[in-house]
This record gives sequence, C-alpha cells and structure tokens, in this order.
Amino acid sequence: MDLSYLWTGFAVALTPTNLLIGFIGCFLGTLIGALPAIGPINGIALLLPIAYTLGLPAESTMILLAAIYSGAEYGGRISSILLNVPGDAGAVMTALDGNPLARQGRAGEALMISGLSSFVGGIIGVIGLTFFAPMLSGLAIGFGPAEYFVLMIFAFATLGSMVGDQPVKTLIGCVIGLMLATVGLDATSGAYRFTFNEPELGDGIEFVVLVIGLFSISEAMLMLEHQASGGSIIKVTGRTLARWADIVFCTGATLRGSIIGFVVGVLPGTGASVSSAVSYTTEKRISDREGTFGKGDMRGLASPEAANNSTAMGAFVPMLTLGVPGSGTTAVMLGALMLYNIQPGPQLFTERPELVGGLIASLYVGNVLLLILNLPFVGIFSRVLLLPNWILVPGILVLSVVGVYSTHASVLAILMMLGIGVVGWLLRKLGFDMAPIILGFVLGRVMEVNLRNALAISGGEIGILFSSTISIVLWIMAIAIAVLPYLISRRAKARAARAQAELQGRASQAG
Amino acid sequence: MTTSTGPRASTRSDRIGAIVLLVLALLYGLEASRIAYSFSSDPLGPRVFPLALAGLLALLSLIYLMRPSGAESWPRGRLLAASLAIPALVLAAALLLEPLGFAIAITVMVVGVGRIFGASWRAALIGGVAQAALWFVIFRYLLDVYLPGGSLLGL
Repeated sequence: MDLSYLWTGFAVALTPTNLLIGFIGCFLGTLIGALPAIGPINGIALLLPIAYTLGLPAESTMILLAAIYSGAEYGGRISSILLNVPGDAGAVMTALDGNPLARQGRAGEALMISGLSSFVGGIIGVIGLTFFAPMLSGLAIGFGPAEYFVLMIFAFATLGSMVGDQPVKTLIGCVIGLMLATVGLDATSGAYRFTFNEPELGDGIEFVVLVIGLFSISEAMLMLEHQASGGSIIKVTGRTLARWADIVFCTGATLRGSIIGFVVGVLPGTGASVSSAVSYTTEKRISDREGTFGKGDMRGLASPEAANNSTAMGAFVPMLTLGVPGSGTTAVMLGALMLYNIQPGPQLFTERPELVGGLIASLYVGNVLLLILNLPFVGIFSRVLLLPNWILVPGILVLSVVGVYSTHASVLAILMMLGIGVVGWLLRKLGFDMAPIILGFVLGRVMEVNLRNALAISGGEIGILFSSTISIVLWIMAIAIAVLPYLISRRAKARAARAQAELQGRASQAG
Repeated sequence: MTTSTGPRASTRSDRIGAIVLLVLALLYGLEASRIAYSFSSDPLGPRVFPLALAGLLALLSLIYLMRPSGAESWPRGRLLAASLAIPALVLAAALLLEPLGFAIAITVMVVGVGRIFGASWRAALIGGVAQAALWFVIFRYLLDVYLPGGSLLGL
C-alpha cells in the first residue's frame, strides 16, 4: 500500500508553526472537553471563525480543529468522573462507572485508566484511518454523480437509524438542513431561491452564522435550565497512579472499545455518543459477570473512553475520502473546508496530499501530546470545573458575537445568528438534535448537484440511480440499516412480552 | 429547578411543533413552486429538489404529529423570562456594537448574562469589565481581529 501521503503529511505536521497550532488545539480541546455541557462540536463552532479570520492556511486550520476535536474527547472524561456531569455527549457512558470510582476515593486511578484507554483508542483509530482512507478513496474514484447521490441517501439512512431514539426527529433535522442549503443562487440555472430579494441571502446562509447560532446561543439558553443541580466536585485524593493489574484487567475492554468505536466512527453521521453507548453495553454483556458495572468497574470506564476517541479518528475516514462526515463534529469541519473553497471527495487525496496527510499525521502527534497533557497535567484541567457559569456563559457569548462579526463585519449576521439560535433552542426543547441539521446543510448542495448531474447524463431517466453495482449495493445497505433496528426492537419487544407472560403465568400458579 | 408540565402538556408542545413544521413545509413548497428561471442545463431544474424536500418534510411532520414523544418540559415564569433575556442581551450587544463600540456593548452583555447566571451585582460588574478588557486584548492584539471602537464616541 502506498503510504507516501503520510510521509508528506509528517513534513507538514512537524513544521514549528503547525506543531504549535496542534499543541494549542490539544490544550484548548481538553479544556473544552472538561467543561461540563461544552463538547467538541460547540468548541469547534466557536473557534472556527477565529481560525478563519486569522488567515491560517487550510491545512493549519484543519490541524487546529482536529486537535480540538480529539482533545475534547480526552477532556470529556474529567467532568464525567469528578462531577458526574458529562463534558460532552460522548462522555455520558464514562460517568456510569467513572463517578462511582471517584466516590470510592479512586478518582486519580480512574483518570489515569481512562486517559490510557483514550490514548489506545485514539492510536488504534488513527492507524485505522491511515490504512482505510486510501483504500476507500481508491474505491470512491469509481463514483459518478448517481453513486454520490445514493451515498448521501445511505448517509441519511444511517443517521436516522443510529442517532437518537427518535428517528423522525433526526430525519426532520436532516430535511431542515437540506432546505437551509437550498437558499441562495442556484449555480446550474442562475435562479435565486428563497432569497426574498435580500442581497445578503444571495450567497446562501453563512455557515459560521448557522453553526454558532445552533450550537452556542441555544446552548447558553439551555445551560440556564441545567445549571449545577446539586452536583459536587470530587477532589483527587489517594493514588494517582493506576495499578498495573488494573491496566492489564482493562486491556480487553479497551481493545474491544477501540474497534467498535472505529467502526461506528466510519459510519456516516454517527459520532461518539453512539459508539460509547454501543461499546459500553457490549462490554457489559461480555464481561459483567459479578454485576459490578455501574458501581465502579474499571472496564466500564475503559471501554467507552477508548471508543469515543477511536470514533473521532474513524469519523475522518468518510469525511476525507467521500466528503460525507462521519460525525456531527466532522460535519462542522467539512463546512470549514468549504469556507476555503475546498471540495472534499476522493480527489482530495490526490490533489491535496499535504492537507489530508498533514491532518492525519497531526493526529498521531496530537494523541501523544494529549497523553502527556492528560496524565501528569490532568490536575490543571480539572480546575476548570471550578469555573462558575456566570463567567463561562458570557465568555461563550462574547466569542460567538465576535466570531460572527469578524467573519462578516456586519451586525445583520449577528441578528441572523440570534434568530437561528432561538429557533434552535425551541427545537432542542422539543427533543431535536442539532447535528443532523448541520449534516443536512453541509451535504445539501452536493446532494442536489449530483442528482441533477446524474439526470443530465441520463437525459432525465431515473433508472441511472439504480444502474451500477455500487449504487445497488448502497441502496441495499441504506435499506438494511434503516430497517434493522426496527426488526431488532420488535424481536426484543416480543421476547420481553413472552418473558412477562411467563412471569405472570408463574405468579398465578404460585398464587 | 426545571418545572415539569406533565405528560399531557408536553405532547401538546410536540403537536404544536409538528403543525408549525407542516405549515413551514407548505410555505417552503409554495415558494419553491414559484422559483423563477428561464433556462437550466439539467432536466430537473431548480424547483424539483426543493419541492421534493417540502413533500418529505410534510410527510415526516405528519408522522411526528401522529406519534408525539412528549419528553421535554418547558421553563416557566422567571426561568422562562431569564432564558429569553439571554438572546435579548446578545441583541442589545449587537445593536450597541457599532455605535458605542466593543467595550461598552460587551460589558453590558457580560454583566447582564452574569446576573442571570446568579452572580452578585459586584461580581457581575467586575466580571463584565474584566472580560471586556481581556477579550479586547486577546482579539485586538493577539489575534489581530477588527473590533469597532464606537462611532458615537468618535473612536
């Protein structure tokens, strides 16, 4: 296999500037992850406009954002363990065993074990990324417009079936995102769509405005309701070094978590919240013989932590090779690439090896930096848990206002961000997730353009969408992934009903 | 902290949400059918994809209407007012930004939001001035971002 792109990449990632940028990203990422309620997606949304206005080259911006992303997956565990409030969606499972361990006075050991499994997950994820990405991009060179369109359908099917417990809401979110993407000038026909004669809307809705509105304004409003409801920070006392026996004990869980995490990461749209849940429940089924999971079992801590870091790496595979984000956060990064007028896709590998390689190489460097930051210096990051919301939330809002203002130099953009933010808050109160909206928005133009190009090739014949082997396989995969969870839950329900009937039968016999 | 409004009330908000989405789908579809164009190099044209999206959203919101989940509870009273005061303060900052400049607009917002999140007046005021100064230094000198000085103040 030709890995020359990676060596080009290391030359990019190891320049002093990019090393410094990577280090800053890792530091900020861990900090953002450790802050309760602020995850990688909010952090990247907030810092994207600043990176953009700084005039950094595309590969440096990508290195910065990727470092923040991986850092946040490391940092998320800190508040899960010490505060029992997950630092981000991917760290929810970490709290289940991590916080009980901390309450037993083993916080230091829990932080070290989870830091180590984060590292193993991260490294296994990057290695997977290094080998899978060129393979997939080689495969994707055979993609025409029709195949791309069906690929998007597959992405939305995966999203609908894997993300959230309410597929309808996830799909509605995707459609809203797709609709928002249709605003502006249609390049093929020269028609202005949904602009209502507003010149500001001619170029469409600005990505930065949308992302900051959805992720930071609505978050600030929600934080008021979820404000510190009685949680208390546990001080790290006692051992800070994990026992060797515990590390060995967790090896299986860590490796399984890493592999599950990578696979889930590669699937379009499904991020760390899905993978950590899947790996935790799998690990519980495999190793929880004494019923210790949920009461402070090291394996229940290692598995989801390895998974969420591995997922972050895996999520780059479809993003870099197909232009389909593997998670909500990579969707924001894809939007960031588009700000630089870089169209992701299989050609990215051949045309911009310094960007793809630089990004992947920086992830190797980043994971090593993060291990150092997160083992001996974990105490520094746990301090941010003491930061009160009355300082944190105004700070987030300042970043949002300046970020939007600096990219567009217009007050109108801030007003639009606010409008989008309040609508986002209403949607979140109704149980909608924001990530599908971003995914729909980022994929919208590409999806429509590919559909129209495909039909232009076939002269309007819809059969072109089902004509090649690749499209047929993608259709089958889309249908399978959409139907599968439904079948599984029906079987589970039937089994539960049988068990219930049996219990009642026994009870009536006994009585 | 959160005021639960009971299962009936929350399926009601689901239903209202579904109806709003349905109306949105119809309006979007109507606007899509009126897209003006004279020529398109593809057989589909600029209308079909948006129209399909409108149909899809209408269908999905009907499903949502039929199967409400009713999970969330809404803030009420003071909490609701405080929630809405946050975007109002950002709005104030946005409107003050160009006439009065970064420093004043941001101080007003940080003090106000700080108060909402439970800071005492003293802490909020100190925090407001300190954050405005800190962010000014970071953006202006470290990151070289343009910040308005305030046209009314002649800066």
